Amino acid sequence: MKRKTVTRLLSLGLSVALTLACLSGCGNAAQTAAPAGDDAAPAAAADAGDTADADAGETEVAAGDIVDFTFFGGMPGVEINSGNNEIQDIIAQKTGVRLKETWLTGQTVAEAIGSIIASGTYPDLIDGGDGCVDLYNEGVLVAWDEYLESGKYPNLTNYYTPAEWDQFRQDDGKIYWCNVFQNTKGEPTGTAHNDEAFWVQARVLEWDNYPEIKTLDQYFDLLERYAAANPKTQDANGNEMDVIPYTCLCDDWRYFCIENAPQFLDGYPNDGSVIVDFDGKAPTIVDYNTTPTAKEYFKKLNEEYQKGIVDKDFGTQKYDDYITKLSNGNVLGMCDQYWDFQQINDALRTSGLEEQGCNFVPLGLTIREGMENRWHTYGDTLNVASGIAVTTSCSDPDLAFSFLNAMLDQDIHNLRFWGVEGVDYLVDDDGLFYRTDEIRKNISDPKYRADHLCFYSYLPQYGGTSDDGINANLPEEQPSEFFNGLAAPMQKCFTAYGAKTYPDLIGSVKEDVNETHPWFPMWSYSNNLDTSTPGGVAWTKMGETKHEWLPKVVMSSNFDSEWENYMKAYAECKPEDFLNQMQEELDRRIAAKEAQ
Amino acid sequence: MSKEATTKRVAISKKELIKQRPLLIWSAIFFVYGFIFYYLPLGGWIMAFQNYKNKTGFFHSKWVGLEKFKFLFSDVTFLRVIRNTFCMGALNLVFSTVLAITFAILLNEVKVTKIKKPIQTVSYLPHFLSWIIVTGILNDMLSSTGIVNELLVKFGIMDSTVPFFSIPWLFWPIVTFAHLWKETGWNAIIYLSAITSIDPTLYEAGSIDGAGRWQKIKHITLPGLRPTIIVLLIMNMGNLLNVGFEVQYLLGNDVVKSVSDTIDIYVLKWGISQSDYSLGTAAGIFKSVVSIAIILIANSIAKRHGEERLF
Repeated sequence: MKRKTVTRLLSLGLSVALTLACLSGCGNAAQTAAPAGDDAAPAAAADAGDTADADAGETEVAAGDIVDFTFFGGMPGVEINSGNNEIQDIIAQKTGVRLKETWLTGQTVAEAIGSIIASGTYPDLIDGGDGCVDLYNEGVLVAWDEYLESGKYPNLTNYYTPAEWDQFRQDDGKIYWCNVFQNTKGEPTGTAHNDEAFWVQARVLEWDNYPEIKTLDQYFDLLERYAAANPKTQDANGNEMDVIPYTCLCDDWRYFCIENAPQFLDGYPNDGSVIVDFDGKAPTIVDYNTTPTAKEYFKKLNEEYQKGIVDKDFGTQKYDDYITKLSNGNVLGMCDQYWDFQQINDALRTSGLEEQGCNFVPLGLTIREGMENRWHTYGDTLNVASGIAVTTSCSDPDLAFSFLNAMLDQDIHNLRFWGVEGVDYLVDDDGLFYRTDEIRKNISDPKYRADHLCFYSYLPQYGGTSDDGINANLPEEQPSEFFNGLAAPMQKCFTAYGAKTYPDLIGSVKEDVNETHPWFPMWSYSNNLDTSTPGGVAWTKMGETKHEWLPKVVMSSNFDSEWENYMKAYAECKPEDFLNQMQEELDRRIAAKEAQ
Repeated sequence: MSKEATTKRVAISKKELIKQRPLLIWSAIFFVYGFIFYYLPLGGWIMAFQNYKNKTGFFHSKWVGLEKFKFLFSDVTFLRVIRNTFCMGALNLVFSTVLAITFAILLNEVKVTKIKKPIQTVSYLPHFLSWIIVTGILNDMLSSTGIVNELLVKFGIMDSTVPFFSIPWLFWPIVTFAHLWKETGWNAIIYLSAITSIDPTLYEAGSIDGAGRWQKIKHITLPGLRPTIIVLLIMNMGNLLNVGFEVQYLLGNDVVKSVSDTIDIYVLKWGISQSDYSLGTAAGIFKSVVSIAIILIANSIAKRHGEERLF
């Protein structure tokens, strides 16, 4: 009998505990953070923070008053040790907010946003990527207008010009998100090529004595010759691996790597979903999927696939596989946007492969020799299709906006991207920031990054030059730091081509794209199409068709007949519906520009 | 003959109700459980006949009748996913049943317990692996740098490596193989236990009559298993359309999606990714209705042939 009572009491206790645990799990995300027993760490961080703090007048937020906000990014990202990250703590003390970031894993962004909407529980801040419009349609985003007009958040208000902010307006006339990239403050430093290119490992160019590579044919010829002479390579641990001369990513939305090269090969800038032809006539939408260049490009890929130059697994590889391959150093070349694979540079540095010339050099290829190329975009690209948003679940939108506003304060901006002064960068007598080799090594170490650095990489940020007029806002854009930060084989390569910056290597037409192409970029419209319009339906179907057929076409043993089949399937999607809608948008944008 | 004849019917009286109180309470709990978790959600089926939007909810969404179903059956992709689901389901059902029975009989014939036990344990261990791990292993083995390709090339069977996952006709066999590898040992357990319940005197009689091993399997074991096989078959028929989400989702890719997408993936794509809950629900209803129909048909066939049946 006694034993029975004990068991009963025990089970009762357990169930109560369980219920409590469940209930506490349902609590509001924005609880004030308890200093979770690691008093030492924030204290140390606070010390470091003091030295980095330029304006000493700021009040610091006591640890108990720091609010935890959550963020979901609709793109894969690297999680930091939230709550145990030094710079995150410094920023939290200055702003009163600690942001816990989570990222997309193992799903497409549409599925992830769809599940979030279906579940009805939202993070405080969100960048829904292609799903931003779905969130807006759901009515769960906070409108920015009132906050921007209040004057309490000047950094945000001035982040874009009123005309630029207007472009973010949805069909109800309000602003719900703000894109955080490609916004230059002060003078652009111009070292980076954050755009698309055909890339090749520095050692391949060195092997052939730095030849001039101008066309697609020359590019693949070089890869073929190099791979024939060097069929094997070693990874960081000295294991022998087969060289993969060319790989190509087709995973989810990143399949631009395979599909949009034809627009660049014809010398057009990155309008993304279409070409805008305005040579001697009114600007007209042209479909780059069906141009002779497109056929030629895919035929080339097909030939190279048959020769074994193109990666056998390219059609099925996921983004993670792709990044692993590039980090192993056995992929010689690919076509991609720099930001899409930038992260491998850290891996190459840590593993020492960068000393063997495994970093990638961009080439501005065209389909024939002697054509202009526009792979590099001079001038900022305003992407109004997605960006950072505050949700209606956020308990304190005012605090959220003041947090976003603070992200653009120069001292916090420096903390995010440069780090702590004296630890992550040094300052010379002229006030110029620089890093030593040891610091660079630290910064590319994944553990150090997780415990110490906090980029908040999808929150508002600037490129260009800092308020001090000397330093770049982003370290990789600091001209001196940029060149010194390159591995020896890359420096050699830059010198051999007489280049000081990445854009120099590509040799694109130097023009402010916003002046010469006032509608640029058209993809900011097509990215936001959904199936409620005929053009949107066509666009969705075209995407699915291309996803399925482009790898098939490249792998086919009979290119011409497969291309015919693809074109037939493509025509069934009614691309003309899409193109007409794009033409309307193009006309609208031109008219809007002229009206200004 | 049947059970009803032997059980006495008890009249419902107050005394009887009090006597059976604990039983009634427990049944009520299960009834409520079943109602809440199985029947209440069916109310959501109403979405299939509306143009459901989260904002407008059940009560203010536009009523569209059978429009969503019309869209479904005019959508080539949906017809394709039905085909894929049926074919993969059927392949899986046939092969897993045959292989599980074969394996159970073979294992039963192994008379040395020291060998039999370890084999059985090893064979059902993969059942406890999650699909993400199994597909991970498959991905590694079948990639162009994987062990399968390496062996094929090394032994000169192929000149160069084959990208297995980009070949559409290979997808169904790969999925079937994955299921067999994972579940055969587990499925065999129930048949093994059914075999042990066969009266040993039958085997003794068989031996006396001079039956060899093969004949004993053919005339005693298999007929003895028959009721189990048929009940399991009917139950699995109901699950025919449930063959596919995880494996196909994890192994599939854009190149083979015309053969890899199943009804469940279709529901996910439309219901969640495109936020068209109505269409997703319509596809889900179709799946449930077909599953129920299949069970009823299979059951009535069994009934007509005088076999053991589910209900």
